Amino acid sequence: MTLKAVPPAFTLPPIFTAVRNGMKIYVAPRAGLPLVSLHLIFPYGAEADPPGKAGMADLMAEMLTLGTGRHTAAQIASEVDGLGASLSAHAGWDATVLHLQGLKEDLERLLGLLREMIAEPSFPEEEFAQLQQRRVAALAQQKDESQIVAGERFEEILFRGTPYDHPVYGTLKTVPLISRDEVQEFHRRRSLPEGTFWVVAGNVDPEDCFRRLEANFSVLTPEPLPVIPVNPVPPQGIRVFIIDRPDLTQSQIRFGHLGISPSHPDFCAFEVMNYILGGGGFSSRLMQRIRVELGLTYGIRSSLDLRRQTGPFAVATFTPTATTFGCVEESLSILKSFQAQGASKDEKEEAGQFLRGSYPLKFETLSQVAQRILQTEIYGLGTEFLRDYPERIAAVGEADILHCAQRHLRPEDLVLVIVGRAEAFRREFERLGPVEVSK
Amino acid sequence: MNPFPEIAVHRLGNGLLVLAAEIHSLPILSHQIHFAAGSRYERPGITGISHLFEHLMFKGTRRVKPEEFARIIQAHGGTLNAFTTTDNTSYYENLPADKLELAMDLEADRLANLQLTSETLEPEREVVRSERKLRSVNSPFGLLIEQLSALAYEQHPYRWPVIGWDADLKTLTLDDCREYYRTYYAPNNAVLVVVGDVVSEEVFRLAEKYYGPIPAQPAPRLPITPEKPQRGEKRAVYKKVSQVSAFFAAFHIPGITHPDLLPLQILCTVLSSGRSSTFFQKFEKPGKAVEVQAEMGSPPFFFMDPGLLQIYAVASPGFPLEKLEREIWEEVEDLRRGLLPAETLVKARKQVRSAFLQSLQTHFFKGLLAGLYQVRAGDYRRLYRVLDRYESVTAEEVRQAAQKYLRPENRTIVSLQPVSQEEHDELGEIE
Repeated sequence: MTLKAVPPAFTLPPIFTAVRNGMKIYVAPRAGLPLVSLHLIFPYGAEADPPGKAGMADLMAEMLTLGTGRHTAAQIASEVDGLGASLSAHAGWDATVLHLQGLKEDLERLLGLLREMIAEPSFPEEEFAQLQQRRVAALAQQKDESQIVAGERFEEILFRGTPYDHPVYGTLKTVPLISRDEVQEFHRRRSLPEGTFWVVAGNVDPEDCFRRLEANFSVLTPEPLPVIPVNPVPPQGIRVFIIDRPDLTQSQIRFGHLGISPSHPDFCAFEVMNYILGGGGFSSRLMQRIRVELGLTYGIRSSLDLRRQTGPFAVATFTPTATTFGCVEESLSILKSFQAQGASKDEKEEAGQFLRGSYPLKFETLSQVAQRILQTEIYGLGTEFLRDYPERIAAVGEADILHCAQRHLRPEDLVLVIVGRAEAFRREFERLGPVEVSK
Repeated sequence: MNPFPEIAVHRLGNGLLVLAAEIHSLPILSHQIHFAAGSRYERPGITGISHLFEHLMFKGTRRVKPEEFARIIQAHGGTLNAFTTTDNTSYYENLPADKLELAMDLEADRLANLQLTSETLEPEREVVRSERKLRSVNSPFGLLIEQLSALAYEQHPYRWPVIGWDADLKTLTLDDCREYYRTYYAPNNAVLVVVGDVVSEEVFRLAEKYYGPIPAQPAPRLPITPEKPQRGEKRAVYKKVSQVSAFFAAFHIPGITHPDLLPLQILCTVLSSGRSSTFFQKFEKPGKAVEVQAEMGSPPFFFMDPGLLQIYAVASPGFPLEKLEREIWEEVEDLRRGLLPAETLVKARKQVRSAFLQSLQTHFFKGLLAGLYQVRAGDYRRLYRVLDRYESVTAEEVRQAAQKYLRPENRTIVSLQPVSQEEHDELGEIE
């Protein structure tokens, strides 16, 4: 069975751009279904949360949907549902996104809703108190989800002392400390700042979109926001953090270190490398060894999380309590051998063929198209990145992958987090480095 | 505008039904094969075999090495996966448009020539047990939901989970797997669907070439015991370490072909879809509950046989679960007594219509609609009636459905009672 293939040529769907009232606007028209997807993006996210106030940007985003000078939260919800639309407002890292998706026939009303939420949010006291209570309850419940606990703890340790050191939705400690007035002030200082942009995808006419947005929206805060740097930490060896959960029969495992940003020159080589190592499902070395050959887990993957500055590179898996140490040890040895030897020619070709060949599948839905465009703008890549991506992947050679592995993989210097029965494997992990056990 | 393209149909001599829909918007396609195989077709002692078998289908043939199927598809720019439910097991590959023949070749090969050995079964058995730990044992509500089905159904195979009981997963034999393969993985027990940048005639020609030579098998015997009507509320308590208390309730509702299903879906939409829904406004917004949902699936994911409509609630820390439950049943009673206001009905109809149109954005989902309506309801053309039926649902139909199905006598409830680690340990190991 041959593995050789030449991906067919792919033409990027058309993307129209304009600048109106200080805002960049992207429109990706798509005929067919009567749908429209609107994204309004502010160029800051949870990295802008003030110290000790993790969750501020995300709370602010949702408060925009919970009352305006003209309508209550219940009225807005009723209008959104009545249009069969979906509304979300969340902070991510580096950006806060208001997303409204609905039917083409309602475009004017959808834009009207967004305009009101942006221009006249009223931050009602009662809505804030209820939102805060809902968030605290959800965070309490989340403590039962060992996968989430593992991921949060991993990033908290990895990014300690940087603006990325907390979950975007805050923590049980910080959310109750945030007041409604602080949220309103946080918003006032960043209302429609320089760098705010739009992505519209769907059954729309680009010129018509530009006109409508120009008539309704304008940048209000023309100064760029300050950027707080994420500085690399000096090597500290392997550090093990166990969160003791005696009721679990299976351990959740996360380990890794800082990766690179999407604007780094090695980014495409990193993509190819990660596919071979652990991003390519059953084509990856981690899955082949840990699941297929050893049967230690149902799933294992490595991934590079994108951030404007440096995102985390992490391996995530789970395994029965008894095989916890063996699973980690084996996974680490795969990282080490990859770092020493790099990829074979066949592996490189397969990875390149997948990343190029499956590229059109990433433009199938309006949300996918919008998400691609949104990322290029946030990470400062330009839409030509979307156009050139298949070529750039094709240009990655084996030497680039080896160079990337040696420069960016650090199996001797990483954070390892396990959620599970500490007493069953704590001693074994002491062979790797200092172990800290917490509840 | 018809949001769904015309489907061309062809049946091979061995009974395989082939459905093809041409959509030329992007140079991609979705190739799917859906089998009438799922936990519904199992019996005690081999529960979970349908899902375990889904894993074994990736274990190779004479031509293709174990797990190489995925590698080949991915190396041609494709994505792939499979899923098992109560009523079907489905395999799909989403690929560049010029890779149709590759997908057909590989999929037909494993349908005809799968290698089943103990070397492939044993590690996969452990992988599936690990998956069960992830999805059921160590997930906050997984075992609770298992118990809910086991209590709501006394006779029908929906009473055990799709992933199976751990005791059965440990003891399933290679012979069980071989028999399952022979019986259910037959062309006359499957539907092939291709959606995308293809020409129907070419789809049929390639289907003849690759699937045509695979012999039909005797139709599976289906001794599926129907569930008897429930005549009174059933309750159970599940104790585990947890930050929250919660309850999961289930009401028996009819199967996928029944006209009451879409009025029931409208009812679920009114109760819990969107921020203006009853459950959000009454319970989540004021902080009584972290989450309250009414769920029964949406087209084409309705149960083939009479299924369950679930209402579940996670109480906010400090709010009594009993009070929350009582208040939720009061809201349900209101739906049984009165007619929905016209504007509420119009809103719910638009919500379900819009959600349906949103889901039609991918070739993959269009293929699922056709394939699963065919496997579960016996006729893919039902998908064309969904939007019209949403528009025709009346307030009276919603009330009648509520009266008929959301009765306390038709209800089964399992509550999660948080316990200390010590008490958890005393109750024994969970699996």
